Amino acid sequence: MSTTFLPCGIYHQEYAKEHAWWQTPFIKGKMILLLIVLFFIIPFFADSYELSLCNQIGYTILGAIGVQLLIGFCGQITLGHAAFLAVGAYTSTLLILEFPWPAFMIDWGLAYPASIIIAAFMAGIWSVIFGLPSARVKGFYLILTTMAAQFIIVDFIITQYVSQIGGRGQAFSIPPETIKIGPVAIDSDLKVYFMILFFVIICVVVLANLIRSKVGRAWIAIRDNDISADVMGINVIKYKLMAFFVAGCIGGIAGSCWISNIAAISPEHFPWSWSLWLVGVVLIGGVGSIHGTIFGSIFMVLVMEGLQLLVIPLVDIYPKLLMDFLFIKEAAFGLAICIFMIFEPYGLSYRWWQLKNYFNLWPFSY
Amino acid sequence: MLKKKWQKFFISVISITFLFGLPSAFAEDKINIGSLNDMTGATSDVGKDYALGISEAIHYVNDMGGINGKKIKLYQFDYGYRIPEALTKYKLFTRLGCKAILGWGTGDTEALSPTITRDKIPYISASYSGHLTNPDKTPYNIFSGTDYSSNARATLTAWFDTKWKNHPDFGKRKPKLICSYMTSHPYCSAPIKAIKDQAKILGFEVGNDQDVSLFAIDTKSQILAMKKFKPDVVWHGNTTMSVAATLKDAYAMKLGATHLINVWGYDKNLIKLAGKAADGAMGATVCAFVGEDVPLMDKVVEYAKKYNPSIPIEDRLIRTVQAWGNVMVLWEAMKRADKAGDLSGESIRQNGFETMANFDVGLGIAPVTYSASDHRPGKIVTVYEINDGKFNLIDKVNLGQRWADKWNSWLGW
Repeated sequence: MSTTFLPCGIYHQEYAKEHAWWQTPFIKGKMILLLIVLFFIIPFFADSYELSLCNQIGYTILGAIGVQLLIGFCGQITLGHAAFLAVGAYTSTLLILEFPWPAFMIDWGLAYPASIIIAAFMAGIWSVIFGLPSARVKGFYLILTTMAAQFIIVDFIITQYVSQIGGRGQAFSIPPETIKIGPVAIDSDLKVYFMILFFVIICVVVLANLIRSKVGRAWIAIRDNDISADVMGINVIKYKLMAFFVAGCIGGIAGSCWISNIAAISPEHFPWSWSLWLVGVVLIGGVGSIHGTIFGSIFMVLVMEGLQLLVIPLVDIYPKLLMDFLFIKEAAFGLAICIFMIFEPYGLSYRWWQLKNYFNLWPFSY
Repeated sequence: MLKKKWQKFFISVISITFLFGLPSAFAEDKINIGSLNDMTGATSDVGKDYALGISEAIHYVNDMGGINGKKIKLYQFDYGYRIPEALTKYKLFTRLGCKAILGWGTGDTEALSPTITRDKIPYISASYSGHLTNPDKTPYNIFSGTDYSSNARATLTAWFDTKWKNHPDFGKRKPKLICSYMTSHPYCSAPIKAIKDQAKILGFEVGNDQDVSLFAIDTKSQILAMKKFKPDVVWHGNTTMSVAATLKDAYAMKLGATHLINVWGYDKNLIKLAGKAADGAMGATVCAFVGEDVPLMDKVVEYAKKYNPSIPIEDRLIRTVQAWGNVMVLWEAMKRADKAGDLSGESIRQNGFETMANFDVGLGIAPVTYSASDHRPGKIVTVYEINDGKFNLIDKVNLGQRWADKWNSWLGW
């Protein structure tokens, strides 16, 4: 039996092998190549604009992966995830700017890393609070309760109270070189890229591991049929809240990472439309697929920017085209969701799966 | 069959794009300038007119010979007041080699400030936030109009001088001020510290701030809260739409206070939307209204008619003139920098903007002066009052002269 490629037909003889991430040396090779591209090729060949696009993709992945967990793996529809990103961002910013850290924490650049952990935890707690109604309601009713997170957390608590801390009254300015990890100040697109990449990998690995564990199986059982899951002895409420907690934590990390990309933060950074955008990412990428989240994020950021770059050469002839682009972009977002829902309901991840299968069986694919 | 049709369609679209785009790739040397505008977001009620003004003013600059013979190529984007979008657009501008950026709101301008400082790209914003005027902190932030904080101080002072001194309660009690604005919004809250400081200087009693969203259409609860305090003046820090809603509710509920309005809430649309409720409202403006008899206004009108004929000139707002003001100071700075032989961002700032002393922009803008230590364009603020649906100039407050001892310490507020 070939050890480089999987044979056609029988794939696995042990459960452990079936669940292994890198099942053959060929797949290991592919993944190593991917890591080389991510860690060596992109950062050193991309310019500032391309890096900022990568950072936006990373931020979108971190935001959407929690939504994927809730919608795709646990069946809990959410439309308030931007609020948990806001909790993460504000917790982290407040801790950096206002908290009296011991001198060694600041000197050794530990304040920001510590703030990320605390921010993740805080966002997780808030997510659980707004996940509590999921014990009693589902479907459209749950959508409405999760939307409340936006209004209560962002529009009320953060806008009315948190934003006033420190007397700024509007935006928390984050002075340059405030955000440090160890001796390194996160002050360039490249450094932000590496940081976001690190967290994307960590979050993907953690979630992928959770999905193939007892917890993940419980989430999937709840998604497929919560009554059956209950009958099978799964504590439905506990696992639902656990899903909200993990999703909130990842959202908190996303928010904390976002502040390294900007110099001031205000509630405007976390509009309700961002929650909707994240759901769009999940739908286009593929519901119930981690790499679908990644594909969805890449698609949503790059396609929109690509469309824009395409119209730039026409500026001389149609000067208003760039100004009108946002309308096109909004329309393209809506249209993309409609097209995917009709023609590709399983999203880009399904297309990827088909592509892989084609090449796995090539040249005898059917 | 269907696939082939789609293939043909996409190939045609891409071919046409590049075919038309090709000449621009080989076009003569142009100076690229970026412009961030809000046509669809929270501040689009005033942003649309400003965006039109930018594009028309650039046409004018090019018709006048550009930067010493070199034409300007404008990359103008609508970012919908979404800050993440603004960050990406900024990076795109740098990639396109833009020499300067005509920015928009306080949120994105303040968020981008350290980045533009690092990249040394002049950022001429429609945000007149006082926070952006200290070159020690924000050396590449510039604008042509008097800053929000100075405007707020001047408007309050003008009311104190022209109205309060004639009030029956003058000398018997303190005048009362209350601020109505979207507390979380950087633009709305930018001058609050300054106006409260000015209120303290002039001996006002200040009530609790009232949070009014930029999207507000009903502000009765805020007006009820204000009525308990019985203010003599209300400072409105929002843009036109929500200010009009607040004025109408205040009128209907007989609040009985004079309304003082920040720059972006004070235009012809306010009169149209609020009607009688806008009568008596005072506000600082940074330039003349469209159609006023001031130098260069004929060009504003001519280019508005030429490039956007579908919008009647009587519907154009002061925002167009504000946009022209910013483009004119940038044009002058770039011409000076180019003459000095260096069109880098640093040179535009040092050899351009910071050499301007009492530079007359026209358009009813007070002569502007920038120095290496102070980017506030002027000390004199013009204050208008609405009477019978018309704007009347009622006062010119010279803050620098009147509070000469404090003027320098107000830098960056």
